[in-house]
Formats: sequence, C-alpha cells, structure tokens
Amino acid sequence: MKTIKTVTGQKRLSTQQLLQEIYSAVDKGETSISIDACGQHDIGGPIWNKDGKVLTFNIKNPGQRVGSMCLPNTRIIVDGSAPADVGWLNAGGEIIVKGDGGDTSAHCAAAGKIFIGGRVGTRSGSLMKHDPKFEAPEFWVLKNTGSFSFEFMGGGVGVVCGHDSEAFESVLGDRACVGMVGGVVYVRGALKGVSEEVTVSELSVSDIAFLKDGIPDFLEKIGKKDLEKQLTKWADWKKIVPLSYENAHKKSGSSIKNFRKDAWVEDGIFSDVFPDTGKLVELITTGRDRLRYPKWENKKFAAPCEFNCPAGIPTQERFNLLRKDKTQEALELIYQYSPFPKTVCGEVCPNLCMTDCTRKDVDQAIDIQGLGTACDMQVTKPVTTKKQKIAIVGAGVGGLTTAWHLRLKGYPVTVFDKDSNIGGKLANAVSRERLQDGSLQKDLEKFFELGIDFKLNTPITAKEYIKLKSDFDYVVLATGAYAPKVPPFPGKERLMYSLDFLAKVNKGEKPKIGNKVIVIGAGNTGMDVVFGAYKCGAKEVTCIDVQKPAAFAKEIEHAKSLGAEIRYPVFTKEILADGLLTSDGETIKADTVILAIGEVPILNHITDPYETTRGYINVKDNYHLGDNVYAIGDITKLGLLVDAIGHGRELANILDAKATNQPYAPVIKKLVSRNNLVTAYFDKAQPKDICGGCADKSRCISCGTCRDCEICKDSCPELAITRELDKDGNAEYIVNEDKCIGCGICVSICPCGIWNLYSNSPYHPVEEIEE
Amino acid sequence: MEATVKINEITQNDLDWKICYDSERCTRCGKCIATCTFNALEMQVEKRAYTAVEPELDNPTAHKRKFKAVPVVKQISDLNHKCVGCGMCEKVCPNEAIKPERNIDSREALINHPGGSPIKRGGRTNLSTERTLDKIKVGRISQMTDPSLDAQRHTFDLKTPFGRILGPEELPTKFIDDEMKIEGPTPPVRWIYPIIIGDMSIGALSTRAWEAICIATAYLNEKHGIQIRMCSGEGGMPIKLLKSKYLKYMILQIASGHFGWNRIIKAMPEMVEDPAGILIKIGQGAKPGDGGLLMAAKVAKHIQEIRGVPKSDLLSPPNHQGLYSIEESVQKMFLSMNAAFQFRVPVAIKVAASSSSVSVYNNLLRDPYHIVGGFFMDGIQGGTGAAHQVSLDHTGHPVISKVRDAYLAATAQGKQGRIPLFAGGGMGMTYDLAADAFKAICLGANGIFAGKIFIQLLGCIGNDNGRCNQCNTGLCPTGICTQDYRLVQRLDIDKGAEAIVNYMLNVDTELKKMMAPIGNSSLPVGRSDALVSVDKDIASKLQIPFVC
Repeated sequence: MKTIKTVTGQKRLSTQQLLQEIYSAVDKGETSISIDACGQHDIGGPIWNKDGKVLTFNIKNPGQRVGSMCLPNTRIIVDGSAPADVGWLNAGGEIIVKGDGGDTSAHCAAAGKIFIGGRVGTRSGSLMKHDPKFEAPEFWVLKNTGSFSFEFMGGGVGVVCGHDSEAFESVLGDRACVGMVGGVVYVRGALKGVSEEVTVSELSVSDIAFLKDGIPDFLEKIGKKDLEKQLTKWADWKKIVPLSYENAHKKSGSSIKNFRKDAWVEDGIFSDVFPDTGKLVELITTGRDRLRYPKWENKKFAAPCEFNCPAGIPTQERFNLLRKDKTQEALELIYQYSPFPKTVCGEVCPNLCMTDCTRKDVDQAIDIQGLGTACDMQVTKPVTTKKQKIAIVGAGVGGLTTAWHLRLKGYPVTVFDKDSNIGGKLANAVSRERLQDGSLQKDLEKFFELGIDFKLNTPITAKEYIKLKSDFDYVVLATGAYAPKVPPFPGKERLMYSLDFLAKVNKGEKPKIGNKVIVIGAGNTGMDVVFGAYKCGAKEVTCIDVQKPAAFAKEIEHAKSLGAEIRYPVFTKEILADGLLTSDGETIKADTVILAIGEVPILNHITDPYETTRGYINVKDNYHLGDNVYAIGDITKLGLLVDAIGHGRELANILDAKATNQPYAPVIKKLVSRNNLVTAYFDKAQPKDICGGCADKSRCISCGTCRDCEICKDSCPELAITRELDKDGNAEYIVNEDKCIGCGICVSICPCGIWNLYSNSPYHPVEEIEE
Repeated sequence: MEATVKINEITQNDLDWKICYDSERCTRCGKCIATCTFNALEMQVEKRAYTAVEPELDNPTAHKRKFKAVPVVKQISDLNHKCVGCGMCEKVCPNEAIKPERNIDSREALINHPGGSPIKRGGRTNLSTERTLDKIKVGRISQMTDPSLDAQRHTFDLKTPFGRILGPEELPTKFIDDEMKIEGPTPPVRWIYPIIIGDMSIGALSTRAWEAICIATAYLNEKHGIQIRMCSGEGGMPIKLLKSKYLKYMILQIASGHFGWNRIIKAMPEMVEDPAGILIKIGQGAKPGDGGLLMAAKVAKHIQEIRGVPKSDLLSPPNHQGLYSIEESVQKMFLSMNAAFQFRVPVAIKVAASSSSVSVYNNLLRDPYHIVGGFFMDGIQGGTGAAHQVSLDHTGHPVISKVRDAYLAATAQGKQGRIPLFAGGGMGMTYDLAADAFKAICLGANGIFAGKIFIQLLGCIGNDNGRCNQCNTGLCPTGICTQDYRLVQRLDIDKGAEAIVNYMLNVDTELKKMMAPIGNSSLPVGRSDALVSVDKDIASKLQIPFVC
C-alpha cells in the first residue's frame, strides 16, 4: 500500500502532479493507494492494473469529480464529503462517499455503483444511462438531493433514502425527473414538483427484493448499519419510472369536437340569436345555399326589332314559327300588331326594327322589310260580340289600326273620313315612287271585309262632334295633321302645298306646274313632291332646306337620280312671281314653289277644352282627351306611320279593357341585354347566301325568345335542366333546384338570352328553422 | 362587326388580379363560377374560326371555312365584380385549369373610385410590410457563461401580469408583530399568457369564426393550461357566454360606439365568473383616428340585436364622446369600468401607437388611484375588418420603437412593469408569432396581442400582398368575415378551433425554444441584452447592439 501526502509544508501537489504520481505507482503494480488530498480533481480514473487486479483508493478531502470515468475493478472510498461531480461518467467503479456529495453527483454515470452517506446537490443523478450490455449503474443516497435531480435520466437505478430530511418539502428537490426517459428511482419521503412525465407508484415485490438486498450492503459501506430497520418500512417508499414512449407522446387527437359537445356552452354561445344548424356546406352548393340561381325567362325581354318597333311587332317570333315550318302562322302573326305589313313594313317604314338587329354583329340585319311584303292573311268577318259602339274619326293608318283591332275584338266600329277613300296620308300623300299601288290595295281591301261601317266624304264639324260623343260609347280622333305650316314670308300666297299636290298626283291627276319647280323642305314628303313634280312634267326641280335633309338616303338618291338638286342650308326670304329670294339675296328661278315642311292638325271641330303644344293636341294618359274622347296619331304629335299604328293598337287594347271593366296593365318589355346574346354560334353568311324575307329564318338569332335548341339542357354540368312541354305544346325548361349549383353556364351558353342569373339572397338561420 | 373595346373600358389588365385559365383542361363543370362570392367569373362562348385546306391549296373546292363555338370561363372585367385573388376557383377546379394571378400592371387603385369614393377594404397595410421585428435576432446565446435551458424538458413559467402592479412604495404595508403584512386593497391582477387574441368583434367576424376562437381559447386553458385570453372586440358579447364559466377567459372591450354593453350590464347578476379584464379601446393601429366601422352588408339580424341598432353602416365615433383629456379618461372610463365589476377586474386601455404614446403612458403611470391595469399599443401593421385604404396604408406608427420608448421611460422612473405593456399590430404577420412575442417582450413589452393570424388559422386566405382583404364586403369566401349564412356554413368550427389550438401549442414550445438559449425560464421582460439587430438604425433606436 502506497500513501501519498499532497501537502508538504507550504507545498501542494497540483492535480496533474498527483495524478502522475498515481499513474507511476499503478504502473509499478501498486493496487492500494491512500491519498491525503487537498482538493485535487479527477482522482480515481480512468486507471487500471494491467493484470486486472482491483485498485483501491482511500481518499480524504478530494476535489471535484472524484471517481469520474471510473473503470470496473476500481474501488474508491472517500472518508468524509466530496464536492461536485462524484462518479461523473462512472463506467464501472464502486465509489463510496461517507459524507455528502456535491452537485451533479453520479452525473452521466452509466455503470458501477455510487454510494453517498449524506446529501447530494442539484442535478444529481441527471443523465444517468444504462447500456444493456453491462450491469445497470446504481446511485445510492442516504439523505436527499437538490433540485432537478435525475433530470433527463435515461437508465440505471437511483435510490434516495430520505433519512434526516423531514425538513424538506421534497426529498428530490423541486422539478425532479424532468425529461426522464428511462431507469427507475426509489425514493423514501416527501415528494413535490416531480415532473409530469413520470409515474409515481408503490413498490412491487421485485422492487422490495432489490431494496431488501441492497440497503444492508449500502448501509454497511457507509457505516450506518443501525439505520436498517428505519429504512426498510416499504410503505414509506415510492417508485418513479418515466411514462412509456407511447404514453409520453400520445397525441391529444381531435378532441375539440368532444370538448364542444361535452364541455362547451350548450348549443353554442350564439344559439339564442343565431340558431346555426351546424350544417357544413362545401364551396359548391345547391338550392337555397347557392350564391346565384338561373331562371328561364322566355319572352320576358324584347328583341331589338320588337323593342324598336313603335308597334312592338315581335319579328323574332315570326322567324321562330318559320323555323318550325308554321309558315302561315308566321305570316299572319303580324296582323295582331299591324294591319299594314305590305305597305308600311314592306315599303314606306324606315324599319327601325332593323337598326339594332343583333345579327348586324355577325353580318347584316335580318330582312324584316322583305318579311313584311311576304305577309298575308285571309280575313273573315268577325262576329259582333260587344255592345259598346265606337266612332273613329279619320281613316288614316292610326284610325284604321284602331278600327282593325276593335273590330277583331267584336266591337261595332264606325269610321268617318273627310275623303272619299280610306288610307289617309298613306294613300294620299306618299308618292307611288315609294309605295306600290298593289301593296296599298292589298292592305286596304282587308278593312272592307271586317264589317266596319265606313262613313266617307264625311268631315266632322263641331256639331257632329257633339253628336258623336252622345251617340257612341267611345270617340277616337285620328284625323292627322292636314293644315300646312306656312312661314310668314312675303309672297306666301304664291305657294302650292305638298298635301294638295300629292293627293292629286296619287289620284292620277296632273296638277299644273311649271318647268322649274322649287320644293321647300327636304324631308320624305319633300322627296315625294320631287317625284310627283317630275311625274307632272317638271324639267328642273330644286329642293331646299334650312338644315341637312331629313329624308331617307334612299329617297334622296332617287330624287337626285331624277335630276333634282338638293341644297341646304337655304333660308327663304320671299316668294317671287318668278322664283324664290333667299336670305343671301340669291334668286332661284322657278315657275312653281311647293311647300313641304309639314302640317299641324286641324282642331276647330273639337268643342271640348283642350291644350296644344306647337299646334298638336295634348292628351292625358292612355290617349284620353276628355269624357269619352281619345286622340291618337299625328293629331297628338307628328310621327311615323308606324307610330300611328302603335297608337292605334294600344288604344284598341285600352278601350277594350275599359269596355270590359278590366284593368289596363300592359307588360312593358325591357330590351334584352346584348351581353346575354351569343352570336358566336353564327358564322358570317356570304352575301350571295343572304336571300332575305322568310329565308332569313336561318340568320335570325331569336333574341329574347327561346328557339328551343336545347343547348342549355345539354351544357348543364349538373344535368339540372329538363325540357318539358306546356299545355299548348310549347317547350319550357325547368331547373331542378336541388341539382343546380348556380354556375350560370345555361345563362352564358344560351344564344337567345332566355336565361338570367339572379343573386340568391342571404338568409338568416331563424328562417331556416321556421321552414 | 363584333363589338369592339373602347380605350376607357376596363379590361382584365387594368385590375389587380387576372384570371389565368386553360380552356384545354377545363371540363365546363361550372364550379369556379358557382363558388366565386365576388361574381368575378362567367362563361362566355368564343367563336373559333379557321379555314380548312384539304388536301391541296390550289384546289378552291377543297377550302372550307369552318368554325366552332367554344364555351370558356372568363373574368368579368368590371370593378363591381373584380377578382380579388381569393383563389376559391383554383381550390374547386378538378383540373387545375384556373387560378388568379397578381397583375403588376394593374391600374385598379387609380380607377376604382365609382362616384368619387375612396377604396375601402379589410386586412392590414399592403405597403408597409417590412417589419422591424424581422431585423432583430436573438443574438445573445448563453453557452459558456450562464447555462441555457432545455426547451423540451425544462419547465417554464410563461405568465405575464394583466393589472396594475404596485411598486414597493405603493404597497399598503403595515408591520404587525414585527412582521410586514399587506393591509388594505390592492389592484386586481391576472397572470395570463403573454399572447392575447384581440380584438375582433362579433359582426366583424361570423358567429362561427368568433365562437371557434372562443372554443380554442377555452380549450387551451382547460386542456393545456395555456392561460390565453381573448378580447371580445367592440361588438358586444353573446349572453350565453356572459353567463357561462368561460367568461373568465374573455376580456370585454368597450370602444367609442359602446356596442353591446346593454346586454353585458343586464347579464351581470347572472354571471358565475368575472371576465378576465376590460379593455377600453381608444384607437386602432390599422386606422388611427378612425372609429370602428361595420359595413351594412354585415349588419345581419343578430348583429342588430346584439348591438341594438338597425341595418346600416355602423361607424363608431373616432373618439369617446365626452372625453376631453387623459385625466378625464382616467376618471370616467377607468374608474367606471373598474367599478363595473366592483374593482375585481383589471381594466386596460388600447391606443394606436403614435408620436404621443409615451406621454400618455407617463401620464397613466402617475395615476394615483392605481386603476390603469394595462397599456396596449397598436401599430400601423395592425389589421381591421374595414377601413379606408389610405388609412391602412399610410396612417399609423410602427409599434416596436414605441413600446421600447414607453418601457425605457418607465424604467427611468423605476416604474417599469407597473402598468403592463402590450404591443400589437402586425404580430404574426410572417407567421412567426412566438418570435414576435419573444422579441417584443425582450424590448420591454409584457405581452403582445394579435388578431389577423388567428383568422388566418381559421382559414382566411387574405394576406398583406393584396390578396382578398374583402372583409368589409360581407362576401368573405371562407365564411369568416361575413354574416351571410350561406357563406358562414362553409366554416368548420371544430377544424378552425383545432388549427388555432395546434398553432398555439407550437407557439408555446417555440417561445420556450427562444427562452431556453438565453437562460430564462420566466418571461424575459426587458432583456434587450438578448437581442441584436442587423440594421444599424434599428439597433441605435432600440439601444441594442448592431451586428452584421
């Protein structure tokens, strides 16, 4: 046995000097060394006898890490206490400290046994490990540990006996076993603040066997045999093991749902004001939850032709009938609107219907004029079913249209006219250059088959006006505008008036005019006068106007082709015997000057009070003038022939409603939205392929009226649209709300703009529950 | 000729978002159009024409013009139906045939002023997206000197006070039998999690969204011991919640509109718990100087009931009517709100960060009655449900230097921590809520508050790059910021709450992950030594080291 004294006088061996001395002694075969240390570190290992003999160190007063990295066959006995890190990284040695151990005793010990006869400091036993190829490390402590003991322990056995530790809240200090993943700690005494990642349980039989075996040995080693009885009351002991990996890492899972069901405010915190059913909808929904919904609205909106026509003729419906080979129906349909298809639609009307034709976006407007010419129907005399008698003054297009519709509705109708023929200006003022006799005859002859009582050559005077009012239930004034507007320039008595001139021309007479004629006014009437003048033998015709000519380009072209000169702006100062003096001082030579700047109505037979605007009579709503008198057409405002037709048809409906005590509530259609119409289905037609008239049925888009093409039904991604026939055999398209997702493909894909997409309004869940 | 486009007509390229669409991949299922709450899409039929030459060019009879009509999905180029980039079309498309794309050439901000009206929207600033917090790093890592901790295995104390903390000289101490005792009342203090969910109102949020956040709050408290609190926002409270035990997790807000307080007061006799606190809202970082704004589109029946108003745009006044000075506000608002719950519930105040914030804070620190229980500062990067875009983008004050200034001002008087400081506005903007909280706390905040990130967790797809942000329109595609029941039904309460819970559990670990290396097991309030900045000016302003 070798004894090393580390302090001689004032001289102390450094750690390194002491350790060198130990190495050299062991090299020489020394197996038992007694060291009187003075705080030198790391005494005890790693060191070994080359023959495998046991090395024994008896140490007093060691420094830190006594027995650190100790190998098997090393035995260390510290007489008294040891500072920090006793048995740090112990790899197999037996280390006995009879007094206290410092902080981090047995730190990282992975084999061997460490016995402490007192207390140990913080983090003792932390990170102890166990390599299963070797015996598990053991760490015995007689009294208690500091805080954070057995932190991150991975294996081995810790035993804390709790002797003389009653003053402590916890014999393992605070926060023991935090991060412990392996091993076992036996502990006797109070526990507090132990990690939640461990379980603390009673001892099992094998635990007791282990302690029963180990405690006497431990006590003997530290020289405290007398405590055996005190420490072997097993009920005082607890065993600490970590949770299994599975339990420690148990996922809490989707327990929110259960929390809401079991612990949360019943039915939810808003259930009193917002009774949510809890339904979860997807991003695509049907029925009431859709954002938008489509609606099949056949004929709700007007086609541009229908919309622009003052008589509201739905031409798209006529082409639809033609497409269905219902030709006769197609050609007769117009008579429900206008009895003048050949003359007005076919010849003299400016055809406003064609100006905004959607087909223009593809090639050119549908030929509605041609369709007018093609129209015809067989008229049978209607039976008189109504008793209210109706007097119509004026057999122009307005009066005749009123008579037509009322007669067809079964009213007895009497028409008065100052002239000997019916047709008013259409017959008497429109030049035959613009209107063929044949067409006029065809349209007018139908009126004589209706059973209308015509009183021709019968101008209405004030006296007769009063009588009409009492003799008839309703009196319609449709006398037009026949008083020429004559500007007050000198020499006006020399003027000839266009209406007189044209009436004579149209009757086949040749009014006397000179070679040189001036026509004042370059509207359509002016052109009619030009045509008539040439017909009557004029050689030079000059047509003047104060503004850009208002006549249709076609008429102006025709006038020019006859040789007429059209001049504007030209202001008349005086009518001379031999011509016309302009405000510029120019004299335009002429034999005859014909005034064609329009007319105002003649109203002197009306005995009731009335007001006028620029010479035209003011009517109230529904063309009502007063009492049982109504007024339509040019008497109320200068308009196109088709305006008068529109007035006539509307007034007939108004009077019918009145006579039958029905409310008059016409449906005023809005123009179909251009965005809703799809022209992409139609290719440009070659000009040679456009034949016009009925043949244009293939070019008509059928704006606003369903053409029954079924493309909506076939394009619906949800197959939510079905086609059904109504009682009249007409197709209608029905949406299944439970299938429809509101994508609006039907709306976008429909060529005719029948489908419309509407916002589905938000609703409150209260309503949902009430339903 | 087909209709042509005029120069002043609005086309796709004038708008912030363009729909990118592949007609080859499209099945015409209509889902994209059906799901779009903004009605920004429609089907149109395109004409495709070509001349078929079969087989040889010089034989004219072999040429034939052919065409077909193809239905395609198109963006409606109309300011009333503009695409906002929410991407629901992309979500529902079975074939990845459609998606919105950001348009760098957009002229929308220039032309979107129908009738001369300014742009209103929700969300955060889309201009000031650069953040001070992201220029700050946790640069002081404990290694050889003081020991760092183990985030996974050590235990941490993550609680912060909400309530007035008395200084030693303010404590009502008395010596009784040679032992110092507290004699007399002290202000109420709650120890809570340093992150507060604030303050999105009933009305701004849908019932489901608001309740999902409530449930997540309760769950984190009850099941995970995370004492997070939620602030009600200025839209009142549901009566059933007022009467439930979960009221203890709620901070009640009172703002200038005082919406919903009738029901709160009426419910008092039946309350089984006190609320966690009361927050007096004076200002909001997203739109300082403006009061709350709830557009009529969102004032549904139940909102009318809870708030006690008819359907209309609800504008809270920009100031509390009848408050003219800080002193008066302490007297009237703080005293009354403290008295409302008989001095048991702490009362805090929220202001928009501004140049004058420190003066206000100093003033409140001098309050002799100790009734100011917290000072919330909301910065320019805060979110809102509805504001003028000009306010969102241009008015306001970054919060970080302000919270630092306030903390240092208090420290100079030895009064730090007496009125807890909470910083908000852009917290979680980069989805790093834990880091944001940690850095703000190191600079002197006692905690932070955040709102937007929680609705983003519920499923909100809005962001600070101009995506969606239509919280004001009632058309929220995710059912979060709308009262339209058809849309509300899109939101799954449980999944939403679970996302918040999971995120907060992660934040909890991340906070520890940041506290561990600086060796703090409790909140490092004012530990600015832990921070460095890679920006010299920020470092200098915040008094932390500049590093590069």
